[in-house]
Amino acid sequence: MLKRSLAIITLLIIGYWLAQGLAGVPFGQDKMLVGQYYLNHVEAQTGAINVVTAIVVNYRGFDTLGEVTVLFIASTGVAALLWGRKKKRTAKTEGSVVLTTGISLLFPFVLMFGGYIFIHGHLTPGGGFPGGATIATGFLLMYMAFISYEIPHGKFEVTEGLVGMGYVIVGLIGLAISGYFLFDWIWQTWHWGAGNIGRLFSGGFIPVIYTLIALKVGTELSGIIDNMLKEEVKE
Amino acid sequence: MNPQYASLLIALPLLSAFFVPVIKAVSKKAVMPFLVLVTATQTGIAAWVFKEVYTTGKPIIVMAGAWRPPVGIDLYIGHFAALFAFIVAGISFFMAVFSWRAIKTEPVDKYAMLLMLLMLGATGMMATGDIFNLFVFMEITSITAYALTAYNKTGEAAEASLKYMILGGIGSSFFLIGLIMLYGATGTLNMAQLAQFAGSINPTVVQVGLGLIVFGLAVEAELFPLNAWAPDAYQAAPHPVTAMFSAFVVKAGLYAMARILYLMQSASGWHNVLKLLVIMATLTVFVAEFAALRQKDVKRMIAYSSISQVGFIALAFSLGSSIGVDAGVFHMMNHAIVKGLLFLTVGYVAVELGGSRIENFRGLGRRMPLTALAITIGSLAAIGVPMFNIFWSKVWIILAAVKANYAWAAAVVLTASVVEAVYYIRLIHTMWFSGGEGERIRENLAVGTIALFLVILILTIGVYPNYFWAVAQKAGADIFNVGQYIKNVPLMGVGS
Repeated sequence: MLKRSLAIITLLIIGYWLAQGLAGVPFGQDKMLVGQYYLNHVEAQTGAINVVTAIVVNYRGFDTLGEVTVLFIASTGVAALLWGRKKKRTAKTEGSVVLTTGISLLFPFVLMFGGYIFIHGHLTPGGGFPGGATIATGFLLMYMAFISYEIPHGKFEVTEGLVGMGYVIVGLIGLAISGYFLFDWIWQTWHWGAGNIGRLFSGGFIPVIYTLIALKVGTELSGIIDNMLKEEVKE
Repeated sequence: MNPQYASLLIALPLLSAFFVPVIKAVSKKAVMPFLVLVTATQTGIAAWVFKEVYTTGKPIIVMAGAWRPPVGIDLYIGHFAALFAFIVAGISFFMAVFSWRAIKTEPVDKYAMLLMLLMLGATGMMATGDIFNLFVFMEITSITAYALTAYNKTGEAAEASLKYMILGGIGSSFFLIGLIMLYGATGTLNMAQLAQFAGSINPTVVQVGLGLIVFGLAVEAELFPLNAWAPDAYQAAPHPVTAMFSAFVVKAGLYAMARILYLMQSASGWHNVLKLLVIMATLTVFVAEFAALRQKDVKRMIAYSSISQVGFIALAFSLGSSIGVDAGVFHMMNHAIVKGLLFLTVGYVAVELGGSRIENFRGLGRRMPLTALAITIGSLAAIGVPMFNIFWSKVWIILAAVKANYAWAAAVVLTASVVEAVYYIRLIHTMWFSGGEGERIRENLAVGTIALFLVILILTIGVYPNYFWAVAQKAGADIFNVGQYIKNVPLMGVGS
């Protein structure tokens, strides 16, 4: 009882202190220091019309490279901890008729929709992360519907590594061409797609990177599902 | 050479970690040599960056995507980051060599990837000039650390990792909320620009924001009362990983804390946050030393000793004086070397004799004389015996504490050193003067060479501290002298 009331009192004090701090933050006021700059220059500097994407992939590309790495660590960590010499699927019941029929028909369309999201990342909301997650959803549904379904694990792992390297290499090409890591050489050096702003073939290296990210996220999340659904079998 | 090539410090470990699955598909045996090769290359790059920064005296500002801050993200590789990128890479290289011998648990390829990413995360945390980017690198470091803690896949390891993950998760969310408050109040994430605005932010917001950030980072920096995860994680993690935790992962957290604190030094109410930190630091020292005294397992004992030393560093940083920060950086450097050596040798003994319980160390002086000698020198250095490196940094910390009118904190450091002497001398006594059975064991050449190198380094700094103290002073000034920091970052005139 004493312990609990002490905890409650501590919580109240911390809560009050936090509220005091939050009250001092000028919410709703114009604090668009950097934000306004992005809004004013995004089209000329990146060739993308989706400002959020331009910030995420181009202006603050370093963060995104980091986020991709975080996901990579998550999948590597899961694979390291759930490692087994020989792993098999052990599910006993097949999915319902609705699920099995539905996913057999829908599977290509789920992948296509994922593809649509990441290919249009520089034009519409979305991008590599949601696109990749949608693709992984397709594989998750396949796992749920069929008890013997498995992704080609080894190939997925190699793809994951290769597309990750692809992202870094795009950045290194920028370093070689202009002397800056993660420099958008497709837009700023080649001016590729300059007459095409607002349509598919524009946006400098954003679509390239988003494609790589989507493939990476898709294979990674599918790999996590695969690792978590399979169990080690004794030989 | 173009200084922007310093971005290879980030690009190389990433590229290599992504390359590991491809290597594994070709030959699994090639993974460990590849890890050693990558860490060696990273050490080479870091050495070049170190030379560049210390000869020109100017920091390297890496601008990702050629965007000038605060629009883009910059890496600020000043005297501090250059020094520690080098230390991080060097220790990682040594531990990669040790891993080749020590890591037998599968899957080794995943282990190699995680090790590279741990090195990447710590380097990034120390190099970045953007506060949100710091958060991203902190996530990279800590999530890798959770996975590596549980790598041995024993029950203990899983428990330790879970503890670490829960506390670490709470810590990162605190940090993120604090960061959001600062961003909400200023509209910028760039550290230099934040420092410019620090004086004009609402004082309550700064205090709450900084308090949250300090609390969040205290988990990574192992400060009392948020360090409960540390001894378990240190003990359960694979031996090379423990050495890396102690040598630079915790240092990255401490650095981040010090950097953000000093950036905001013109904010009102700043000294209150420092006072809070002084109390946390002294408590860390005190609690950890007495806990170390009771340990029956040598690895765990050294883990507690490491935590208490971290408390010294935090104390030095929280004094708010330039000499304090210099002393803290110097101690960080010395501690990385000494704990690198101790965890390497103790881990090596554990690998050879199947565990790090104190019984295994009986008669070690006869069974593995070189290793025992290295442990002895490491222990003497850790106590702070003159002629060894830590002596100098402890002296500087005590002087700095007295100068900053924290005589009681200096007294705590001295008392703690006495306690530390008790358990380290007990260990030395067990190794050399208590019987013990067993054959003489042939010691591994690679591990021996690394240990010898670290021992020589300890003695060199102990006998000729001046050069290293000068380096530490430059690195300390990098953190303390915020005016210079702001001047060095080529901010474009957005908003100010």
